[in-house]
Amino acid sequence: MAVNYETEVVLSEVEQLTVYESGNEMAAYAAHQINYHVMGYFPISPSTEVAQYLDLMKASGQHDIKLIPSDGEHSSAGICYGASTAGGRVFNATSANGYMFMLEQMPVQSGTRFPMVLNLVCRSISGPLNIHGDHSDLYFALNTGWPILMCRDPQSVYDMNLIALKLAEHPKVRLPVMVASDGYFTSHQKRRVQAFAHSADVLKFVGEKPPEGFPNTLDRDNPITVGPYMNEPDYINNKFQQSQAMYNAGDVFEVISNEYKQLTGRHYEMLDMYCMEDAEVAVFLMNSASEIIKDVVDQLRSQGIKAGSIAPNMIRPFPQQQIAEALQHVKAITVGDRADSYGAHGGNMVNEIKAALFTYGNTSTQVISRIYGLGGKEFYAEDGHHLFELAIEAVEKGKVEVPFDYYGHTVGDADKAPKRILKPMKFEDLKTGLITIKKDEVTGKLSVRIPPLRSLTKKPKRLSPGHGACPGCGIFSGLETFFKGIEGDIIALYHTGCAMVVTTGFPYSSHKATYIHNLFQNGAATLSGVVEMFWERKRRGELDHLGLQDDFTFVMVTGDGGMDIGMGPAIGAALRNHKMIIIEYDNEGYMNTGAQQSYSTPIGNRTSTSNIGKEQQGKTTHHKDTAQIMAATNIPYVFTGSEAFAQDLVKKAAKAQYYAQNEGLVYGKILIACPLNWLSNDHEGTQIVNEAVDSCFFPLYEVEHGCTTITYNPEDKNKKVELREWLKWMGKTRHLLKPENEAAYENFQGEVDRRWHVLKAKHENPYL
Amino acid sequence: MVHLPKVNELGFFEIRLESIGGLGANLAGKMLAEAGVEGAGLNGVSFSSYGSEKKGSPVKAHIRFCDLNTPIRDTSPVERPHVVSIFHEALAKTVNVVSGIYADSTVLINSQKSPEQLKDVMNMLGGTIAVIDATGIALAEKNRVNMAMIGAMFRLCPFLDPDTMKDVIRKSLGTKYPQSVTSAINTFERGFNEVTIQEFPLMDGLSMPEFIRADTPVLGYETQSIGGVITNPGNSFLKDLSISRSGMMPHFVLDDCIHCAQCDTVCPDFCFVWEEQPDKKGRPQMFLKGIDFQYCKGCLKCIEACPTDALSKVLEVEGAADAQTIKHVFDLV
Repeated sequence: MAVNYETEVVLSEVEQLTVYESGNEMAAYAAHQINYHVMGYFPISPSTEVAQYLDLMKASGQHDIKLIPSDGEHSSAGICYGASTAGGRVFNATSANGYMFMLEQMPVQSGTRFPMVLNLVCRSISGPLNIHGDHSDLYFALNTGWPILMCRDPQSVYDMNLIALKLAEHPKVRLPVMVASDGYFTSHQKRRVQAFAHSADVLKFVGEKPPEGFPNTLDRDNPITVGPYMNEPDYINNKFQQSQAMYNAGDVFEVISNEYKQLTGRHYEMLDMYCMEDAEVAVFLMNSASEIIKDVVDQLRSQGIKAGSIAPNMIRPFPQQQIAEALQHVKAITVGDRADSYGAHGGNMVNEIKAALFTYGNTSTQVISRIYGLGGKEFYAEDGHHLFELAIEAVEKGKVEVPFDYYGHTVGDADKAPKRILKPMKFEDLKTGLITIKKDEVTGKLSVRIPPLRSLTKKPKRLSPGHGACPGCGIFSGLETFFKGIEGDIIALYHTGCAMVVTTGFPYSSHKATYIHNLFQNGAATLSGVVEMFWERKRRGELDHLGLQDDFTFVMVTGDGGMDIGMGPAIGAALRNHKMIIIEYDNEGYMNTGAQQSYSTPIGNRTSTSNIGKEQQGKTTHHKDTAQIMAATNIPYVFTGSEAFAQDLVKKAAKAQYYAQNEGLVYGKILIACPLNWLSNDHEGTQIVNEAVDSCFFPLYEVEHGCTTITYNPEDKNKKVELREWLKWMGKTRHLLKPENEAAYENFQGEVDRRWHVLKAKHENPYL
Repeated sequence: MVHLPKVNELGFFEIRLESIGGLGANLAGKMLAEAGVEGAGLNGVSFSSYGSEKKGSPVKAHIRFCDLNTPIRDTSPVERPHVVSIFHEALAKTVNVVSGIYADSTVLINSQKSPEQLKDVMNMLGGTIAVIDATGIALAEKNRVNMAMIGAMFRLCPFLDPDTMKDVIRKSLGTKYPQSVTSAINTFERGFNEVTIQEFPLMDGLSMPEFIRADTPVLGYETQSIGGVITNPGNSFLKDLSISRSGMMPHFVLDDCIHCAQCDTVCPDFCFVWEEQPDKKGRPQMFLKGIDFQYCKGCLKCIEACPTDALSKVLEVEGAADAQTIKHVFDLV
């Protein structure tokens, strides 16, 4: 909604202030004014900022929302569901695959009728992975039973967030409500926005507290059973109730919207119509693009063309009657869907609009369907003109030549088609014989011999130069040092994360050998499948023609984030003991999405979701000990390593390969520097991880068939340092060295000492 | 309300910032937009390019200003800027930083070169070139490049009041980093004062080049492999990452090298080029030949790792990397 600054403030009953903020900032702003009880969240672009802004405000004491950093969206949705059954107000924000991962929870939330508000910051869904804005995630929400409010700009993100909660909690609705805005176009563009000046007025509008009289799980005198098993005589009636509630939501929305207009002067009808009174040709678009099209309407009107545009403010329930009425006298309309419903001869919106016309007996308006703007492809005014030209042409010809098509796709120049440039790496270059590994038949121990690092430079690197990592990034020096210990061919799978993103920006790849990326959480399962297919096809003789001189070594590369969201699949793969290696590069946070805390982030560390302020001093819990978790699955080999101790890491890689080829699953963790988000100097990464080892925060050890060996003991070398000698290098931890944070520092040091002592005891005793 | 010197058909004065991640262009764009919207009382919209870009990769920031009653509907990137601000001169090697400018647009460049030289570097037919040695100022004032660039941009946007910016600096830095307020304000003021501006009228008979949409791909649905599978392994070596360096580079002296491979171990970008040669006893051994600067992002980890004086850090002067580079040899099809 375009803001009319001259009239608006006069019309509004509540005091408002003007801010200059983005859509994500306004979602967070509204949430903090509502002061929700709980937000369970997990980072995913472009919605992550919502939690970040809320954490920043929390650090400075501006709200009391309990922010719960979950281990994946399935969990964040679970946390929100549980919290909503317990009677308080619940908020969440996600995008794209985050939404897909929580999808299973959505119909449960609506079907069991617990209100909450979820911001969907719309983004295209994988695969291939694309982080930019379209509506492919939103279209999956259409059948979840959630009312869906649409936001064209940051102003409406704010307004709809307030309306959404009131709608969700309304006695005639009692459904969770989705607020959908366009990723980047709206979430990251700053605009002038008007907001309630006082949170008290916000609470007056939405209600001080959630309405009474609905069951919740914390009422000890009235115990309830949530989520029973329901058979066929009853289930359909539950669904009928839900259907009624959904249609009620449309009527209730209009009532709330009128009330909101009284308060603020801003009015959201079911449809946002521009110049539709006498329009002969129209375009239907949703959210951000529906604003751009208004400029096009103005230009066409100035040429005497009776153009108009329609955009919905709500798509569930679908404003069927309103659309049919709006199109009564329109001769042709082009409907742009920013996501396809593959095989349906149009996106979801065009088919629902056609159904609306049919239902209301309109057989004269011609409808053209175009899929546009996928994966964040920009929508320019010239694109809007094209959509109108299609409608004008249909009117002139009296028919629609091409009812359904894509718009904005390109055929490509055959001369510029990709041609393979590099030959495959030579097996003999990779199988150098420089590394030897022998098993002692009596003790069963492996002995590894490696040459000086200098000789190993002869081995080709597994990755090409030209990847887009930040200067000083520790990932690739760490990984290549590890790969130096691996002889022969590898097949790699990378979890979602920096290493994946910066090496595979289409049409470029830095991977010289075969590489796979699947979903953020699902790498261990995916590689399990590849491994077992290898062995099965090999057994059937289907790979004989390749003349493989050696079996592949299967390596999964993950960040610490991937080991949070993918912990379950990783443990599953470990318990199945597939012949593969999981190597985790741990940079202590979700660095790819903007430095949010992971479970590996140590206590007190500053991240974008564990900010420093008067109310909080960084992360509140200790770092996850992933190596010990994996060791507890009793896989043959677990290790830790660092590029600062290169020989140690190369040896461990050689052992890892032996076990992964002969026995089963191997897990290793390497600590790697992230100068950008550790707020450290680019050139100091190796020293910093060295200090992490010498401080015993990150001890170097291996667990071989359950027996622990510390492979480098800084105490023996007289090199052990206090944590402060490590923490002083990084901007994200320097505050821990201040006197006011001494208690937190001591707590951290105490935990590191405790884990170190446990490790030493394990080193001494093979049965620990 | 202040008056915008010129606007496009929709009523916008448009600015585009061209930079690499890490130089503070995103923050500069944010501050500039806030100075216009909150300081000068204009209406506006601002945003940055987002994607998988990391520090050192090309980034853009976009700002549109208009009067309060102009509706802001356009969310597309600024293709026809009235002002372009280039934070990193070397960007012109790989990015068409002046794309879409009008004949009367102003192009601000962080450079030590003259406007005439830059007209050639930027391949400009016409337009106004404004030059500021923002890197030099930032080094001298111990502050950031973006602060000097903001100063220069205020000069080119006469509707913005430098005093409000100084207040913003005082407010945002004052409580947390009071010691840096003076240096930030000095850097801003020097940026404002030290811009040199020269106009280059478009020659008769020539017209300014049309812009190519930012979302135009090289491949299409007939040339892209199905499923987005890349069948061209390791082709990222074609990329030139040298623009990621923001001032310093390693300098390699072969005579001081003991070929220990410590540099190679810590290098994130695989820049070190090795060759097998016979050693003194005639046995095959690996020898470091040098650095392929096409991939060096200037992190300087190698200098910390080097146990001798073979690698040292130097200020990059034009042409030095090309002169010293030793190219990798790839096994081409």
